[in-house]
Amino acid sequence: MEVRVEKISKEFQEKQVVRDLSLDLSPGKVVGLLGPNGAGKTTTLRMVLNILQPDSGQILFDDHRMNRKTRNTIGYLPEERGLYQKYSVIDVLQYFGRLKGLSARKSHVEAVRLLDRFQMIEYLEEPIAHLSKGTQQKIQFLVCFIHDPDFLILDEPFWGLDPLNQEIFRNKIQDFKEEGKTILLSTHQLMEAETLCDYFILIDRGETVLKGTLKEIRKNFHQNIIIVEAHQNPSVLQDIQKVNKVEIKNSVAHLFVDENAPIKSIMQDIIKKVDISKMEFNKPSLNDIFLQTIKSRKK
Amino acid sequence: MSQFFVITFWEFFRHFKSRSFLLATFVSPVVFAAIIFIPTLFLEDPASSQPRVIGCVEFDSSGICQDIQSRYLEANAMLDQPSPVQVIPVKPDTSLRMSKIFSNVTQLKVDLDSLEDAYNKIKERRKYIFQKPKTPSRDALLKNTYADLIQTREARDLAQLDFQRAKHESDSLWRVELQRKADRMLRDLELEGYLLVDRNDFERGVVEFHSLIPPNFLEIDQVKQAIQVVVVEQRLKNEGVQLEKIQQYLEPVLLREIQLQGEQKQEFDFMVNYLGPIVVVFFLFISIFTSSGFLFNGVLKEKTDRVIEILLSSVSHLQLIAGKIFGLGILGLFQILIWFGITLILIGLNVLKVGEISFLTIGNAGLFLLYFILGYLFFASIFVGIGSLFSNSEDAHHLNQFMRMLSIFPIVLAVLVLETPNSLLVRILSFVPPLTPTFMILRTPLGSPSTEDYLISTGIMIVSIIISIFMAGKIFKLGSLLYGKRPRIKEIFTLMFRKG
Repeated sequence: MEVRVEKISKEFQEKQVVRDLSLDLSPGKVVGLLGPNGAGKTTTLRMVLNILQPDSGQILFDDHRMNRKTRNTIGYLPEERGLYQKYSVIDVLQYFGRLKGLSARKSHVEAVRLLDRFQMIEYLEEPIAHLSKGTQQKIQFLVCFIHDPDFLILDEPFWGLDPLNQEIFRNKIQDFKEEGKTILLSTHQLMEAETLCDYFILIDRGETVLKGTLKEIRKNFHQNIIIVEAHQNPSVLQDIQKVNKVEIKNSVAHLFVDENAPIKSIMQDIIKKVDISKMEFNKPSLNDIFLQTIKSRKK
Repeated sequence: MSQFFVITFWEFFRHFKSRSFLLATFVSPVVFAAIIFIPTLFLEDPASSQPRVIGCVEFDSSGICQDIQSRYLEANAMLDQPSPVQVIPVKPDTSLRMSKIFSNVTQLKVDLDSLEDAYNKIKERRKYIFQKPKTPSRDALLKNTYADLIQTREARDLAQLDFQRAKHESDSLWRVELQRKADRMLRDLELEGYLLVDRNDFERGVVEFHSLIPPNFLEIDQVKQAIQVVVVEQRLKNEGVQLEKIQQYLEPVLLREIQLQGEQKQEFDFMVNYLGPIVVVFFLFISIFTSSGFLFNGVLKEKTDRVIEILLSSVSHLQLIAGKIFGLGILGLFQILIWFGITLILIGLNVLKVGEISFLTIGNAGLFLLYFILGYLFFASIFVGIGSLFSNSEDAHHLNQFMRMLSIFPIVLAVLVLETPNSLLVRILSFVPPLTPTFMILRTPLGSPSTEDYLISTGIMIVSIIISIFMAGKIFKLGSLLYGKRPRIKEIFTLMFRKG
């Protein structure tokens, strides 16, 4: 499913939450919607889901506005997780399957099939409240795609999961991608986003700050990083010429330099200043770009 | 199938299978009915309750207590049911101490009488002597008996004083002891109260009633009437009216209470015509607040369990609210149909007698359904709006308590209908939407409201429902997505009246 978000804006009580946000999503691609808390990510997702209506702009699904048929082809995993605690796994899965347009029989068959596939068939008749938190998260994930949606919206999908379950979910998202599903993923975990997403959009205070593939974002960032581990205090590296900025994390110095800076000469200067134990020249990670961009906006 | 029906069925079946529904359908009505009827049966059923014993204390032997007792029994003999009150004279104490006092007074009286007798005899003798021709011997006799006369008179006067003192003492003691005995019987619960008859006060129509609890609760109206009859009887006797005439005048009156119900008239029966409608209103209350309570708790729970956002990603706000309200409305109707079914079975088994319970009609069943639907839609729309605003379980709990208290309010106010079902105040209150279902259902058998009242109340309810659903929809639309923040009243009003 092709999804086109065209210049959507939303205001709550005279506060601009999302401003002129545009986004294109294609089948088989994962788009990462990134941003700090309060950036407007959840509001954007709710507008895409038609839970909230944008004040301006439009959202098109295969060139059509949202309708019941479209709604039934969307799977949503909200950040705020929860299920009917008193009811059995099969009843809950069936109910949500039916809400997405599946027949009673089809939703039952799909629920059983998914539970079997994810090795949770023994919980079929178990009330949700009796399950562990991790198992409940997995059931929630099944609710999201029991109806085999074309378009998946995942809000913080790895939130609260143990590493084992994170791995299962990551693989499943990869499978969806390979199956040609359109995926919109909102997350704080930038490392995860970097490995899963094909396209990124960084929003802050409702405004689009960065967008593009990782390659494009890195290119537009126009900076590289030299990582230095030294025996001395790395703060002495602050004075080196052509270095834009030095950040020290856990006694490791991250030196930001322009992409066309004389790397060789800078490295020599570093060696002169400190007794290094390790030095690396790196392209900036998404996390670095994210942090630098947000910080520079705050300034 | 449309998502609307999926939600409807989900809401219906998940609550239909719940223990709360079974309790509300089968246990709560029995408990409510029991709360209302059992104490009444205990009070009304002579087989299960002894009549209240009321004592009657009088300080002389005028027999007023006996008369009150007789008149009361006569008045009650005309009714089919046994007397709820038994009037008994409180007998004097026969203790050794009192017996000694009485025998002392009696002895003094005997002495006094004997001296009086002796004195009179001396007087008679002297009179006899005096009537004889005057002779020296007659004068000597008169002189001799004069000393006896003076001596006996003095002895008699002294005896008189002794007797009066002792009598006064014993009378005072008698009054004190008699009243003390009656008080003791009251405290020992042998009596529920006693009448204190003082002859002088009684002639002025004053009788005291002593009891541990307020007399209102003792239903002594008929005893009052018996006293009135005895007072009037005494007064007529004093006027010289013949006894036969007096009895004729004071023949007890039988008041038959007939109630007009629609086109029918029926003899008033407290259990059927007064308590029956209260039970019916409780059933209405249970049905409205079972379903709307489920709705309210369901929305709160979906909010606190964070399910609502997934639901809203699948269906629109309107579909969600409508599905919920419709599903639980059907549940409420189903509950009423179960009760109707049970009523028909009880009629079939002759446990409920349709002939005796005049308001048990198809028309009134229709009115019950109508006011259930109106009441349910009104409260459901309010509850769904309020329920969507809170996500914190503690807030939800407090809110739940508050809503329960608020929902009992119409039942509390229903006392007004019981007292004066057709008063202007009750009519006006019947048109206030939260009170309409309870008031109209209670007024139907008690006051037979006019067709106008039904039409006006229904019209106002429909308009109120449209407004409350409209407002609730607005609140729900944004309220359902609010998390971690307790909305302020101002914000709620902003949500209700904002455009778009």
